[in-house]
Amino acid sequence: MAGLELLSDQGYRLDGRKATELRKVQARMGVFAQADGSAYLEQGNTKALAVVYGPHEMRGSRSRTLHDRAVINCQYSMATFSTAERKRRPHGDRKSTEMSLHLKQTFEAAVMTQLYPRSQIDIYVKILQSDGGNYSVCVNAATLAVIDAGIPMRDYVCACTVGFVDETPLADLCYAEESGGVSSLALALLPRGGQIALLQMDARLHQDHLETLIEAAMTACKGVSKVLDQVVRQHLEEVSMLTGE
Amino acid sequence: MGSVFCSNHCVFLFPFVFLFRQSNRLRNLLKEPRHDCVLFANEFQQYSFCPREKGESQEKWQTRCVYSAAVWYYNHLAGMMDIVMITDDQEAVDQYSSLSSGVYVITVRDYLQNFWPDLQAAHELYASVSQVLQEKESEGKEGEYGEHLPPEVLEAGIKSGRYIQGTLNVSKHRAQTEAFVMMEGFSNKSSDIGCRVLVHGDKSRNRAVHGDVVVMELLPKSEWRGKVTALSEGQGAEKSGEDESKPLPTGRVVGILQRNWRDYVVTFPPREGPQSQSRNSQRILAVPWDYRIPKIRISTQQADALQDHRVVVRIDSWESSSLYPNGHSVRVLGRAGELETEVQTILIENSIHVPPFSDAQLREMPVNSPEKPWKVDPAQVAARRDLRESHLIFSIDPKGCEDVDDTLSVRSLAGGKTLELGVHIADVTHFVKEGSITDLEARTRATTYYLADRRYDMLPAVLSGDLCSLLGGVDRYAMSVMWELDAHTLAVNQVWYGRTIIRSSYQLHYELAQALLNGEQAEVPELARLGSERKDDRLAELTQALETLTHIARQLRAQRDQGGALELEGVEVRAQLDEEKNITALVPRQPLEVHETVAECMIYANHWVARKIQETFPHQALLRHHPPPRQEFFSQLLESARARGFTIDTITNKALANSLDRAVDPEDPLVNRLLRMMTTQAMSEALYFSTGSQSLDQFYHYGLALDRYTHFTSPIRRYADIVVHRLLTAAIAAEGEGAPGKGLASNKELEEMSRHINSKNRAAKRAQKLSTELFQCLFFKDRDPQTDLRCLADAVIYSIRDDGVLVFVSEYGVKGPVYLKNREGQVVTFGQDGSCEWQSGSVRRYPDHISTTSACNTSTFRLFNHITVRISVYSSHCHADRLNLEVISNKPYRSTEAQQPRSEGRCQLVQEVVRLAEEASQQAQEKAARGPKLSREERKFCQSKTPNLYSLLEEVRELALMDPEMIPQVCATEE
Repeated sequence: MAGLELLSDQGYRLDGRKATELRKVQARMGVFAQADGSAYLEQGNTKALAVVYGPHEMRGSRSRTLHDRAVINCQYSMATFSTAERKRRPHGDRKSTEMSLHLKQTFEAAVMTQLYPRSQIDIYVKILQSDGGNYSVCVNAATLAVIDAGIPMRDYVCACTVGFVDETPLADLCYAEESGGVSSLALALLPRGGQIALLQMDARLHQDHLETLIEAAMTACKGVSKVLDQVVRQHLEEVSMLTGE
Repeated sequence: MGSVFCSNHCVFLFPFVFLFRQSNRLRNLLKEPRHDCVLFANEFQQYSFCPREKGESQEKWQTRCVYSAAVWYYNHLAGMMDIVMITDDQEAVDQYSSLSSGVYVITVRDYLQNFWPDLQAAHELYASVSQVLQEKESEGKEGEYGEHLPPEVLEAGIKSGRYIQGTLNVSKHRAQTEAFVMMEGFSNKSSDIGCRVLVHGDKSRNRAVHGDVVVMELLPKSEWRGKVTALSEGQGAEKSGEDESKPLPTGRVVGILQRNWRDYVVTFPPREGPQSQSRNSQRILAVPWDYRIPKIRISTQQADALQDHRVVVRIDSWESSSLYPNGHSVRVLGRAGELETEVQTILIENSIHVPPFSDAQLREMPVNSPEKPWKVDPAQVAARRDLRESHLIFSIDPKGCEDVDDTLSVRSLAGGKTLELGVHIADVTHFVKEGSITDLEARTRATTYYLADRRYDMLPAVLSGDLCSLLGGVDRYAMSVMWELDAHTLAVNQVWYGRTIIRSSYQLHYELAQALLNGEQAEVPELARLGSERKDDRLAELTQALETLTHIARQLRAQRDQGGALELEGVEVRAQLDEEKNITALVPRQPLEVHETVAECMIYANHWVARKIQETFPHQALLRHHPPPRQEFFSQLLESARARGFTIDTITNKALANSLDRAVDPEDPLVNRLLRMMTTQAMSEALYFSTGSQSLDQFYHYGLALDRYTHFTSPIRRYADIVVHRLLTAAIAAEGEGAPGKGLASNKELEEMSRHINSKNRAAKRAQKLSTELFQCLFFKDRDPQTDLRCLADAVIYSIRDDGVLVFVSEYGVKGPVYLKNREGQVVTFGQDGSCEWQSGSVRRYPDHISTTSACNTSTFRLFNHITVRISVYSSHCHADRLNLEVISNKPYRSTEAQQPRSEGRCQLVQEVVRLAEEASQQAQEKAARGPKLSREERKFCQSKTPNLYSLLEEVRELALMDPEMIPQVCATEE
């Protein structure tokens, strides 16, 4: 069966977006009072909740303590109702462990851990609804949560997936596109300096196309960072209004 | 999603929702810029989108969407234009027609009646389509065929390897029972079951039509069957299993992935009394012209009017409850048997669409008329290298050639130490800008179509015959490749590519050039008016240039021969046309050395251009490759050669070329020719491709023994050359800037284009062959085979079958089967004097001969034996006529006249047909005023005939092929 036509002749994608268009990003910070920082982020139909605790003393095995910087502990999980098929998703399965590891690497590159030696920062992310781009939505939500927690970062970490169809890079893939056999690439970027925090790609791609793909991913990430920035500023305004400053 | 079609005075929307999603054809129609259509993605537009309501049916919702898009568009145009939305849903008409002032919702029937009352063809088409739709609803349900599996199951089955995917290919000779599926083999199983799977019988074919992409299931080994190898005579000879070859993998179709239905030409059968009317007088089973297509049931009210006419139809559906597919008629071509109808049939059956050039296209053309002669643009002169004074440039072409696309020049430099060879090609891309309407039209046509009696140009005549044509004595733009060669070793010192302006000094033809080379006295028309002294000087200069050229070409040829270039024999004839497009002769390629010289220079130019563009654009250059043939296709050749004691080595192209050169029978030159012809048939097809999609070792051109090759030298008649010209221009520009430039088209676009050009070339070749056969049939049609001596000819046996032999009649270039056993089971034997008689007996087949035994006699036919055959025309009503060959003696035929050169027979053939046509036209002229000459003559000429049909001949030819897919490619004669 010839698969779905991911990019029509007129340049529309399945959901009516153009190739470089992102899904609608909506976010809220400070959704929980108990945690140190929290954020809720929707990117199209993918919804994620991120909660940050810390920095606090090391809990559990003290042997992991680093004497010069903080340890970042990430945990990724998916809600049982997050996909079309209800499924129990234990914490320790390979996929979520891998994802947790990726998140950890990403945030180790962004959070200024050296300010908190011998301490620990916990980032918990839960996917409430999954529609493609889980990793990038998690990163974006976690960024907001970290900011909400008041932990200094070098820059926002913005992530986006990019796929390659008909010699055209498609930004921010949805589930239908991801599962349609597109070779996709996930990239986390510190947009101001243009530093790449994480780059992940599992599919095959001709090396000639890699550069255009990364280029497109970076543009998309910068788009995301603008939205996040707005969210943060708005949140700040609201908070300062409440505290009466 | 709705579609907006804009015509000049109204805009309307169509609820094309399902169609759009499924039909590539509609989408391609819309993409075609010449149709002035626009596709509007209303689902993605904020103001025209409306969400689906609860409980609303899909169709209702879509109609509402389209309506809201129409309203939006009306408002968008600020009410300046009224919108018509057409639908077939009466409810929708009632619901929406009164809602908004500017948007009219009407049914298709009303639309046609109100807006296009005089478009008769559209009304008929609508009537036939709606009739089909109505009948579909009322159809019964008893299943003639098994249901197809749902797509998910098919997909899962293909992935798991349970099912096989491939293209269905119906056998031409046993269309009823045999079909093959060519696998699109990624599956690892393909190695052990080969690449072809047999589908036997129409039950297991399960409604698939020739060309469809199907999914099939293999049957258990016990049910595998072999392929029938006997020559079947017509459809009556049903063979039982004993004639079958060893069992092939056999399967049955379980689903169809993609229908590949095109327009088919069918013939309405004559009424045969009342029984055809018994069930439903409006439904007719029409017989397609192509044997491989099943009969199509057509609902029409014009059945009587269409009797004996050839009609273009489309297949609409094939329900499992129906034995035949349903279709509707689209267009009437004309009465079967008329020449014009037959030629149109050939074009349509090959999907060739060549309307006259539109006004919009002609408006793009530069003007060159006596009042307003076209002049060279001074800006262009400055931008181009001027070769008008410095170089002696000449062209060598067939006599009477109008579209001269190549010219040559040669001169010695640096006191004779180096030679400068130049190939100058018409600069078509200067006139045909990329994306212009002319360009799009040329791309669609992809090539100029040469039929036996006419030609359909790729470019309008003002370009192909005049401004692009490098005629003698006038200034023309050209694209040149010039080599600086070492005078002795002919090593290339330097190559220059670029745009030039040239003036060709001599427009020679092959015979004249050869005469000059041979030192014969020949009259060069360009020199006729000069004084004798100057004339001699100029003549000497020209002859010198020709000699140098020949010298270079010989060397180049020798170099390629070392690499293993093949020289192959193709049955190629070319019609020569006069100004009124009448055929004056069919010219076979006379083997003059100067042909080879010119061809060699062109191959050289193509090769160097290929190198240049491939180096500059490693991933997006259009090249042409010729894959090495598959060894198993050589088996017939090897077998035949063994019969004569020759061994053919087919391992490499060099070995093959050498062994072919050795396989010469001094007594019979035809043997070598036939062997070369068989080699040609074993060849795979040379194809265009984009360099980005093949690996480097695939670039090799087997026939020419070159590592890279492309087509550069005939931009007037081939679109590929235009693409290559653009690439070369871009390459030169990139060189100037010093930066690696971007190619014009991406690899994917180029690959798509090369596929398109390849398929069009194949179609052109087939159409040319069919039209040649049409003329052969016309030639023999009026002759009484019993009395006319010209119907007797000498034939050579080149292949043995179970109940007959395949022969080649060199005099007319006809190949065909000769049956040694007829339907009554009688066999032919010969007496002492060579006379033949039919008696009951048996036929035995051996590898290199076949013998017939009757009560009193035994006759043996060996490979390469000469026999005498009688040629007659076998007419069938619904298909093409074919030539029938009948053996009358086992001795070579000696005509009463002296042996003629073989070519004359063929020239004679067409001349004869044309002469008859002219006689007929004289009679016509007495009555009527003058009209377009040829068509009238030909029509007149054909009317005396019984209905005629000729794809049988095609079939006959194909019998010789090991594999019907392999259309022989004549690669060595390419230039």
